[in-house]
Amino acid sequence: MDMPAYYEFCCRVKIISGHDVLERIPATLAELTARRPMIVTDKGVVGAGLINIVVNAIGNGVDIGAIADDVPPDSDLRIVNSLARLYREKGCDSLLAIGGGSVMDTAKGINIIVSEEADDLMRFSGANALKRALRPLIAIPTTAGTGSEVTLVAVIKDHEKHLKMAFISNFLLPNACVVDSRMTLTLPPAATAATGMDALSHAVEAYTCLAKNPLSDAHALAATRLISENLLKVTLNPGDKEGRLCMASAATLAGIAFGNSMVGMVHTLGHSVGSVCGVPHGACMAILLPYGLEYNMHKNGHLTAELLFPMAGAPVYAATPKEERAQTVIALIRRMNQELYEATGGRHARFFKEALDRDGREMVPKERLPDIAETALRDGSISYNPEDLDYDDFLMVMEAAWEGRPLDTGLIRKG
Amino acid sequence: MKNFREVAAGKKSLKKDYVAVMMWFMGRAIQAAAAVDMAAKKEFAGMPDGFTFALSVMPNGPHMIIGKDQRGFVRYKGWDPDGNKIDLDMKIKNIEAALLLFTFQESTTLATARNRLVVDGDVAHACAVMRILDIVEVYLLPKIIAKLAVKRYSGWSFRRKYLGRVLVYVRSIFSF
Repeated sequence: MDMPAYYEFCCRVKIISGHDVLERIPATLAELTARRPMIVTDKGVVGAGLINIVVNAIGNGVDIGAIADDVPPDSDLRIVNSLARLYREKGCDSLLAIGGGSVMDTAKGINIIVSEEADDLMRFSGANALKRALRPLIAIPTTAGTGSEVTLVAVIKDHEKHLKMAFISNFLLPNACVVDSRMTLTLPPAATAATGMDALSHAVEAYTCLAKNPLSDAHALAATRLISENLLKVTLNPGDKEGRLCMASAATLAGIAFGNSMVGMVHTLGHSVGSVCGVPHGACMAILLPYGLEYNMHKNGHLTAELLFPMAGAPVYAATPKEERAQTVIALIRRMNQELYEATGGRHARFFKEALDRDGREMVPKERLPDIAETALRDGSISYNPEDLDYDDFLMVMEAAWEGRPLDTGLIRKG
Repeated sequence: MKNFREVAAGKKSLKKDYVAVMMWFMGRAIQAAAAVDMAAKKEFAGMPDGFTFALSVMPNGPHMIIGKDQRGFVRYKGWDPDGNKIDLDMKIKNIEAALLLFTFQESTTLATARNRLVVDGDVAHACAVMRILDIVEVYLLPKIIAKLAVKRYSGWSFRRKYLGRVLVYVRSIFSF
């Protein structure tokens, strides 16, 4: 086992998980001495009827101060500011974030402004700028992927300045998260596939990158197994309640893993593709994950190889020669992408050339690859990648991921 | 409530002195590299004028303060953080961790990965500072040691590596 000489692990989020656990929200708010929460969500969640499920589950025991449903797919600084004003106007004292990563990041942003009684969120961007506890925040995920319900990070985009600001602080950890299988039952197959691969990328990078530790490893391995067993199943059969709960738990496990051991180049490039071209984060992760493992193979191939056990089970692991296990893991991930592509009628992109927007337009034009490589240099996750990457390396990986061909290992400069 | 005796941490003077000297020379070398090396220049160009960063050992130093003045020149601003507005503070958690870093037993990235280095400030600028530290270490150290200090030892041209090394050393010693 790779035992770091020093590591830290922190997850002080109370996790309430099961088939009918939304009903625990009033008691959880009471524990936090919160009486008047503001619900932060998006129109997709409202349209799917999920807010009604939550409101019915809460019953009359909680006085909901406001329901704000205008969070965009990409969290936005302007919206954070306007929702913070709404929070104050309505006299709220806590937040319920119901949605995916964007909603939770928005709620974290609102929480910074209202708790610090600030006007300028920018003042708190970066690492460790927050110095005290914020207002109570309960996260209720409606996708099984982001893991934001148990992470200390929020990413908020300033669309006017074209900047993505990262906020990193233990004070951004929600007080509790409520993981209820009912909340992901209506997630469409393509979103199920992409967010599930996002969770897998969290688990795999947490296990194979530089900040791994035995505690995050345990979470990452459990998450990898649950995702491998359930992702295709729930994509093909969205009403599979057991499978949905397994995926939701896997996303939370993977969130705890990467919240404590961080992620590497798959996320570095994924954040950049999202920032430059607006490709959904999960789709970027699905495409880039095999490339990240190929690029780092000479440094952490032995760790990638260990993932074959949770991914394929004991018989396959035992039957695969040791030196072939890492390559088999990469082949399995590519096969998962292919199966998800078929299960979603081609909506799950396998490479960037086939990533299309709602109008069928190409999302990643080849001429934007240099911009993506340049943007990647400014992403903090690169510190945790086993092998170094400069502009040329990022561009080389992106060109392969755009075309959908495996990396030419002869081009990898080994440190 | 003053009914307890405050226990001060051991001084570890020798270790602190070693790290202080290394930081002093590293600071001057960063100033030199910013004038000599194109990649270091490019990294500093991405920082706003007036930007100041510090590398510090918790709890009481030593410190290394580097600033970019209003004309865009990079300056080593000494070891005293007082009187400097620090935009990016990179703090090593204790003197033992600093010693691992400055005896090149552990690279900057590994120190970050192992939670020995805490960054307060903009992450993009912190990434740039890490790359600058790697460049300076390649200039200052022989390959056999530099390979331990950086994630990937760069295949630089003869001119960049050896002429640059002479210039960085000369500028560091004479501080210009």
